[in-house]
Amino acid sequence: MSSITLTSSDGVDISVERTTAERSVLIKNMLEDLGDSGEAIPIPNVNEAVLKKVIECDDDDNRRKTTDIDEWDQKFMQVDQEMLFEIILAANYLDIKALLDVGCKTVANMIKGKSPEEIRKTFNIQNDFTPEEEDQIRRENEWAEDR
Amino acid sequence: MADTPEPSSTQQGLVVANAGVSANADSNRSLPRKDTDNTTRTLEELARQNVAPFLAKYQPRQYAPLRSQVSTPSEQHLVNASYCYRHQPDSKCSRRQADEQSMTQLQSELNLLPQSDQQGIAHVWSLFSAAPAKQRTLMLQGILAQSCFPQLSYISASVRELIRIDFLAALPPELSFKILRYLDTASLCRAAQVSPRWRALADDDVVWHRMCEQHIRRKCNKCGWGLPLLDRKRLREAKREIELRATNWGNNKPAVGSTEAAMVETCSTVQPPASGKRKLESDEEAAALAKRHCASSPESPEVDESYFKTRYRPWKEVYRDRFVVGMNWKHKRCSIKVFKGHRDSVMCLQFEDNILMTGSYDATVKIWDTDTGEELRTLKGHVAGVRCLQFDDTKLITGSLDRSIRVWNWRTGECISKYNGHAEAVIALHFDCTLLASASVDRTVKIWNFKDKSTFVLPHPQGVNAVKIDSVSRTVLTACDDGAARLWDLDTKTCIRVFHNHIGAVQQVIALPREIELENHLADCENDHVGTSSQSGDNILSTLSPLLEATSPSHPNSPFGSSFDQDQDRIEPPRYILTSGVDTTIRLWETSTGRCLRTFFGHLEGIWALSADTLRIASGGMDRMVKIWDPRIPTGQDTYEGHSAAVNCIGLSDSRFITGGDDYQVRMYDFRA
Repeated sequence: MSSITLTSSDGVDISVERTTAERSVLIKNMLEDLGDSGEAIPIPNVNEAVLKKVIECDDDDNRRKTTDIDEWDQKFMQVDQEMLFEIILAANYLDIKALLDVGCKTVANMIKGKSPEEIRKTFNIQNDFTPEEEDQIRRENEWAEDR
Repeated sequence: MADTPEPSSTQQGLVVANAGVSANADSNRSLPRKDTDNTTRTLEELARQNVAPFLAKYQPRQYAPLRSQVSTPSEQHLVNASYCYRHQPDSKCSRRQADEQSMTQLQSELNLLPQSDQQGIAHVWSLFSAAPAKQRTLMLQGILAQSCFPQLSYISASVRELIRIDFLAALPPELSFKILRYLDTASLCRAAQVSPRWRALADDDVVWHRMCEQHIRRKCNKCGWGLPLLDRKRLREAKREIELRATNWGNNKPAVGSTEAAMVETCSTVQPPASGKRKLESDEEAAALAKRHCASSPESPEVDESYFKTRYRPWKEVYRDRFVVGMNWKHKRCSIKVFKGHRDSVMCLQFEDNILMTGSYDATVKIWDTDTGEELRTLKGHVAGVRCLQFDDTKLITGSLDRSIRVWNWRTGECISKYNGHAEAVIALHFDCTLLASASVDRTVKIWNFKDKSTFVLPHPQGVNAVKIDSVSRTVLTACDDGAARLWDLDTKTCIRVFHNHIGAVQQVIALPREIELENHLADCENDHVGTSSQSGDNILSTLSPLLEATSPSHPNSPFGSSFDQDQDRIEPPRYILTSGVDTTIRLWETSTGRCLRTFFGHLEGIWALSADTLRIASGGMDRMVKIWDPRIPTGQDTYEGHSAAVNCIGLSDSRFITGGDDYQVRMYDFRA
């Protein structure tokens, strides 16, 4: 099995199996277009830590199911918000659909079931609404509560 | 880590090591300006001097963009990750404000220390502040290496608190939408209350169009929720525009315009109902239509106006209206209207929009306006009880104990024609397109062809209680007193399947809508597999069926017989049917195998009334009860009481059901808000 080298945005070379790297549609297309010259492929938008994490995920990609976040995904996604944020951006940039899905689902799970105030707290968001606005918007959305 | 260095001495060491460099030149992240006491000022002067080379090297390029507030999403996307998005000027994030707050607090704490300490600490901070990413990382590594466990623990606790990112503000809109798509209704509506940015995203058509798609007139596989129908075509055709909108979000408004244009186009072609049963009623469009054929009200400009308005409604509103109705069903919140006027048992009914027709043993048919509760007309002509009726835009057909079938112009009340084709009472009838089927105590079902005036008979061993035509597959379902329901091929005029498991007479048979999705829930199909019986001539092994389950046209060996084999394009009969009987059960059958997949227990006496759509089954029985079931869950049911005698007939729509009973009453349960 051949391996290729990726260069992260902070200049670190990471060796990875070609099949793993090709889960990224971006890299796959690059390899197809340019041929495998053996030279390192620069990934200018992803730093080393994130790139390593992304590759780690790809290694176990076959264990992923499409519907819900399974146990393995949950463990994989037990990272801080910055890493999660970077993973989502990287997955989007590298075009790795499965990883992007898991990343977005993880954020969604952090939102689910929380009150607006709890959501603000979770993501450190300022409440820019005036009390009047807030009250009005709350009433606008009251119908969705299961009562 | 054996010898723990004093925090102060550590900082001292660092300052010494970097002698000559200090202070805070990063104006954006500086300590608050209001602290203009001497210490700070001298500190800053000193810093400006010493740190100058360091800053000259790193400052201008890194921070220049902070002053220009122009930003586009693409720019934001391109910025290199030397700093995180928070320090990039164009991300609309509240993080910096929080920084200033904590810096103020830090400053006041710093002021409590001796001046020399203050200077030292300030140096460390400002150095760090001025450093680019790589240097910062190195500094942090140094600090971490020197920290003892309690300090590391402090860091670890603080860090978790500090790394909180407003994902929806920081990510490009298409990714934000992707996140929002994983949320349920309640969570989406709470997300809309978080901040203006969240509100704009969480209320957007991109999100709610998808919600509508997932839930309307079907049960969402994820949450088990189903909502009433709206024009499906519109839903489908708006989809492409919506996708476009998701990608162009925030870039002006071109996508919005085209979405609306698409809606106008699709809405103007409201599909005519395939059969008499139209279920659009919660839509104002349908209401407008109904008003038109009701009585003779001339078209007013107002009607047109409201008709027009509906097209531009945000998808969230469309969803909300249906969600509220769904909630009302769930919590059994409904208004009840009673229609009194018949002088004997009410045996049959049908309603479309605001028009309700009921047939009674008092030999009349009454037409009601369900909006006003008013009795519009009474049709007299039958000389014995009316047992069955069906109407469409132009006609009403009734069947009676007097053995006749009558066709009426229900708008004028005129009886157009009368047919005497049965030797006994007509118990049930159903027409679809050009065919009419009538079922009678005389043990026959008669098929009448309006077009070529031909008729033929499907013989039964005993009296027939119910009949349903399925025009698209050219088949008919019948329910018989002998305890069986049957599926007939109208081309060959033969019975292709017998559904035999009820004890005693089968009172009703109906097909479930083709689009219903039960597969997942029937995988673990319960009880009686014994219900198989292919007594018909075409001896198809039921064991074959799993292989043949695929989709309609390409069946090398159709479970429905040779006539379906010969015509490869012929559409198969409905996949699932429901029957109810005097044995107090409702049964769900698979037509391809004849298997009984589910039995619904709950009624205490025979079930005479049965109706179903994609979301629910409604039944009424001799026990005076009406029950509403989820076709996937045979154990759960809602019970509605109200009739003081047996319930004979029931009509069901997205937002209402109407029943007629032996107490001469007609009752409407309306779940609209």
